[in-house]
Amino acid sequence: MDHSNKVNRRKFFRQLAGATGAAIALPYIIPASALGKEGATAPSDRIVMGVIGAGSMGTGDMRTFMGKPEVQMVAACDVDKSHREKAKSIIDANYEKSDARIYNDYREFLTNEKLDAVILALPDQWHGIIYIACANAGLDIYGQKPLARTIWEGQQIVDAVQKNNIVWQTGSWQRSVAQFHHAAELVINNRIGKVTHVEVGLPNGTPSQVHNPVQPVPEGLDWDMWLGPAPASPYRGVCHWNWRWILDYSGGQLTDWAGHHIDIAHWGLGLDRTGPVEIEGKGVYPREGLYDVPVEYFITSRYATGVEMTIANARRLEHGMGVCWYGDKGWIHVNRSGIWASDDKILAEKIGDDETKLYYSRDHAQNFLDCIRTRKETITPVDIAHRSISGGLLGEIAMLTGRKLKWDPDKQIFPDDPLANRLLRRPFRSPWKLKGN
Amino acid sequence: MKNKIIYLFTLIALTAGLSTLPSCQSGSGNKTAYHTLIVTGQNNHSWQESTPILKQILENSGLFSVDVAQTPKTGENMSQFKPDFSQYDVVVLDYVGDPWPEETRTAFEQYVSGGGGVVVYHAADNAFRNWVAYNQMIGIGGWGNRNESDGPYIRWKDGKTVRINEPGPTGNHGPQRAFQVTIREPEHPITKGLPKIWLHAKDELYQQLRGPAENLTVLATAYADTAKGGTGGNEPVLMTIRYGKGRIFHTTLGHVMGKGPFPAVECVGFIVTLQRGAEWAASGKVTQEIPDDFPQFNVTSRWPLFRPMNLDEILDQLREYKPGDNRMPEQDLTNLLRGQYNAGTFDEIEDQLLKFIIGNGSAAGKNYVCRELSLYGSENALPALHKLMTKEPDVAEMARFAYERISGEYSN
Repeated sequence: MDHSNKVNRRKFFRQLAGATGAAIALPYIIPASALGKEGATAPSDRIVMGVIGAGSMGTGDMRTFMGKPEVQMVAACDVDKSHREKAKSIIDANYEKSDARIYNDYREFLTNEKLDAVILALPDQWHGIIYIACANAGLDIYGQKPLARTIWEGQQIVDAVQKNNIVWQTGSWQRSVAQFHHAAELVINNRIGKVTHVEVGLPNGTPSQVHNPVQPVPEGLDWDMWLGPAPASPYRGVCHWNWRWILDYSGGQLTDWAGHHIDIAHWGLGLDRTGPVEIEGKGVYPREGLYDVPVEYFITSRYATGVEMTIANARRLEHGMGVCWYGDKGWIHVNRSGIWASDDKILAEKIGDDETKLYYSRDHAQNFLDCIRTRKETITPVDIAHRSISGGLLGEIAMLTGRKLKWDPDKQIFPDDPLANRLLRRPFRSPWKLKGN
Repeated sequence: MKNKIIYLFTLIALTAGLSTLPSCQSGSGNKTAYHTLIVTGQNNHSWQESTPILKQILENSGLFSVDVAQTPKTGENMSQFKPDFSQYDVVVLDYVGDPWPEETRTAFEQYVSGGGGVVVYHAADNAFRNWVAYNQMIGIGGWGNRNESDGPYIRWKDGKTVRINEPGPTGNHGPQRAFQVTIREPEHPITKGLPKIWLHAKDELYQQLRGPAENLTVLATAYADTAKGGTGGNEPVLMTIRYGKGRIFHTTLGHVMGKGPFPAVECVGFIVTLQRGAEWAASGKVTQEIPDDFPQFNVTSRWPLFRPMNLDEILDQLREYKPGDNRMPEQDLTNLLRGQYNAGTFDEIEDQLLKFIIGNGSAAGKNYVCRELSLYGSENALPALHKLMTKEPDVAEMARFAYERISGEYSN
């Protein structure tokens, strides 16, 4: 397969978008003769993709994109042999071929593969290094939330993505679902009046605690590479999926879900490119067992507009899971099960042509692919992803310090708390570094 | 370390002066302390272990001065067992055994009906099936050939306490395990502010208790899972009972048998509810704060010393800490240091931490302290951290982690 054509084609799209403005719709620039039979995209025009991190989320995203006729999935990278072999079998089965390539080390993957775009579904400690490496390699990125494990890493990712003109889509797919779009659009158009308070309910705590002893690393798992920049730790039987209950790799449900419901809350408030000015929080951390993320969390943030946001595990909030905005004329609550309001008439309201329209997408993956061609901004661009997870990470810092913190959302520092500022960044284990832009 | 703790309590058990004489005030020194009497001396459990633990727990709250009244052994002459209940604000029952003399029973009834406080602890609800007033005080009990003639089963069902009048066994439990306790009266002074559901450390879950259950309020229940030898019902585990003017707090929790450790009584949930229940029984109110490390719905929490550890004790544990060990001392250190920092007193203990990291503790223990120093350490920590970066490969990375955060000079 000739990869250089794909790269040239992708650069062509980019140059075209830059030269003539992003408004040109794609069908006009692709000759009909380039299309394959029965309207399918000809192989030479497909968007060539790979995946780094081929666990449950990575293979799920991979299947979604392979369901798009314009995508050609060609390679997968995972530090667990069983994961990458499974990914290969999924890709090969999809195309009825056996040429999918697999890698243990993302650096070899990036050197050898000539891709247009990449799916990144990695444990959080790896986000900074690999997201930036992919951005610097010029790949468009479908990156899983949360954007980063620390606010400093998030800032570096935003810089790298923007400097390299990367089309970025975050896995914050709720924005592409009707009820979330409708709720946010009603709120931003004042259908519940001036919003004073928003409650963000995220899943409760952690699953059952475990007390695993140190044990041999399973065959085929490159444990040192899995840890990457995280502190060295002997293998204790916790790796795939359950890494999210250990603070070295994740902030637990709080940071796992910040990219969903804080993201939606910000959207409705029109505050998705800024952050709070004050945060306080109380977390309950387990004393026993291997998992150390908070089992209870309750965070209150105040924004410059005066609106207050409560972020807590769902059982501690009146409406439970999801986002509930409270305005002076009523409330709207939305989650994956539905949308509710203080008065059903609010939900039947139409948004007029002269009112604020929020970005419209009903297919998150398709929105990314469309934007790869048009070079337009996706529905969940990288700087918004950064602000969504910052809402959760700031809460984490408030809980860890036990102090009420002032935050400067422009400079992204705690102006009067040098020790809290230490928590904005984590040193990486040697030899890992963020490669400069 | 564990051995040291067990030894410590064996020592206390031997020296606690298990007698009717006031103990030598090892506890609070608080002049307004509630006068407390633990009654013990016979039990189908290890009362020699449980009584000193109960004494420690109560004294550690700073609210109680605790005496111990020990009965004669099983079958011995009980006629001289006559504690003066009237001297006390609260009497804690850790006794199952031979009947007390009638004079003592009458005195106890008068003490309680006159407004005295009582704590019924675990197997004390197995005692005295035939003493009517006692069964009114405990509300419900088990074993001792109790049956439907002793009263209904008490369970929690459909949002309320129900009385179940049916024949069947009285008093039993499935295998010991950790189980969730659910608060049913969140506004009662004893339970106010506790997590609605918390995971109690490994214990017996008493079920099918029955009795007169007059003036009984169920504060908390636990679901007795049929898959684990349970009834499938929500069994009462914390209760209050009124008897005359008296206040009784009844906990079915806290199994102590054989040699320790005894997770059931190390559980912070057991300790805190016992302390709060005893204060309520003594005074009708509860003034104690709920600690941050109270167990949560899926996480147990224990105090092996029946109180939070101090820095020396935590560092002693961390000195021997290895990967894979219980993380409890780590989390304790985190909580303690955050408290010290926010109280402005971290400076006073930083030297102790620096001595620890250059001392002869385990690498895992040192790594954890370095990690905490990364958050709270001052520039005074830099020389010790630098030394570790160059001299101790197993700690060098985490020392660098701390060094970089403190100095603000990052190498990556």
